[in-house]
Amino acid sequence: MAQAQAVQNAPRGSGDGSMTTGNPANPTDWSVGWHPLFWGCGLIMLSNVFFWYWNYAFMFTAGLNSASAEFTMYYWTLFWGELIVLGVFSGVWLGWLIRNGRAIEGQECSPAEETRRIAILWSLIGATSLAIYLMASFWPNWDGSWHQTMVRDTAFTPTHIPMFYFFFPLSVILAVGTYIYGRFHIPALYGKDKGFPWSFFLLISACVLECMAVAANEWGHSLWISEEIFSVPFHWPFVIYGWLAAGMFAVWGETLVRMFEIEKIEEDTNPEASLESPIAAD
Amino acid sequence: MATETTTVTDIADAAERQRRLELKELLNKKYKWVDWKWDLVFWTTAVFVVAGAADITKQLFAGDWDFWTDWKDPQWWPVVTAFATIIIPSTLQYIQWTAWRFPTGATYTACCLFFAAWVGRYFQWDLAATYPMNFVWPASVVCAGILMDWTLMKTKSFILTSLIGAHVWAIAVWAYNYVPLAAFLQPAHFMDHVVTVADVQGIAYIRSQTPEYLRLIERGALRSFLGETQYVSLAFAGTAAFVGYWIGQFIGRYLAVWPIRRYLKTV
Repeated sequence: MAQAQAVQNAPRGSGDGSMTTGNPANPTDWSVGWHPLFWGCGLIMLSNVFFWYWNYAFMFTAGLNSASAEFTMYYWTLFWGELIVLGVFSGVWLGWLIRNGRAIEGQECSPAEETRRIAILWSLIGATSLAIYLMASFWPNWDGSWHQTMVRDTAFTPTHIPMFYFFFPLSVILAVGTYIYGRFHIPALYGKDKGFPWSFFLLISACVLECMAVAANEWGHSLWISEEIFSVPFHWPFVIYGWLAAGMFAVWGETLVRMFEIEKIEEDTNPEASLESPIAAD
Repeated sequence: MATETTTVTDIADAAERQRRLELKELLNKKYKWVDWKWDLVFWTTAVFVVAGAADITKQLFAGDWDFWTDWKDPQWWPVVTAFATIIIPSTLQYIQWTAWRFPTGATYTACCLFFAAWVGRYFQWDLAATYPMNFVWPASVVCAGILMDWTLMKTKSFILTSLIGAHVWAIAVWAYNYVPLAAFLQPAHFMDHVVTVADVQGIAYIRSQTPEYLRLIERGALRSFLGETQYVSLAFAGTAAFVGYWIGQFIGRYLAVWPIRRYLKTV
């Protein structure tokens, strides 16, 4: 009974995975370890297409004056909708990660299962990478074209609302969520005893500091700096903070090193299953 | 004496043969889970963060000179563009050379930037703001990337690449983009003035937030250099690119590679 309850309480796909359930699926099959990559990127692109369509449809008819009734209808509604969606998403997802993570903390993990988890971590990092592209290139291009042609009235413009108040915080949520996943699911790299990894420290810092730069930027624009030159020094902190996202490469590097360690463990424990091909000297 | 030489040669041959065997074994080693999917996912998903980093660096350091044909002047454009665009390619050059000895980082980044810049210009500047693409086309650094990677491949030295490759970069960025730009530098008679075609574009397509007086085009003492303005700018662009190259190296070394498996102190 206790065992049955433990199995019932065990988080979905978090125990020994395919090893204990008898599922022979390869942990690196597209439908096993990598499927969060497709779901994550798909949802992010879907939201981007939505904002894209919204701005094409309403930016010139309702987005020019933030004090107008049309702006309230189409853009303040969008703004509050974004905050609610992100708030609910972060609460549910991060809470789920922590709850499930605590449930499996301290449990042994087979090499196959750890491989699957690293593939999931890479999937989450891939989704974060897409979100960073949208916040650092796709929407800034639109913001540039808007500022060079339209006169700014407040910090809430049709391009700022999706960029600053959706994709900027989304990248923070994704980076933090990815770390939490690694913290509980890949203890060999990100366990509590290891300390906080520099890789995630830099990646999360990049995303958080970008949000802080929004506040500083809008404060400055409200006082004395107009948007006449897009490459004005007042915008440079966005670039410098963005460079910290290079920590993502450290995440890729350290997990890949771990993958080769896992392969070595597997090779040592199951030498008969070695896949090495015979080598002939030329 | 001859026998001794033969023995030494045999030992050297055997050692070389052994080394090649070990390398071949490593090359052909089959892993249980490390397969081509990891490569595909890495190279594909990294495109986005690299494109984002390269494009935001270009936009916010040199964006105005890249957004419009009439800002692509001989004085400022080569300098700010060379500096802004070399930073992230240098970072990726360090990462890819250190990890795999691939002399491809600058080209990879240049292709990512090409993708991001054209997506941005087409969807945001052309479709959304209705500027024609022949007014807002972005500069490309693909040619410069290939040449800088070639420099690293031949010299195998970041120092030499920064000294030679950065100057090659500055010249290549200007020369490669001068080809599409040349058409817009042709003289035109417009409202009783002789101006360039790019100037006509700048007057015809309204930029309400960018007043005409802001264009920093051929002003100051460099005018006294007359036709040499371009070459003085290119020489300085090489210097600026050298500085940008080492900023990129700093990012690659200390923000991307150094943090691997390093931890802040446990509380």
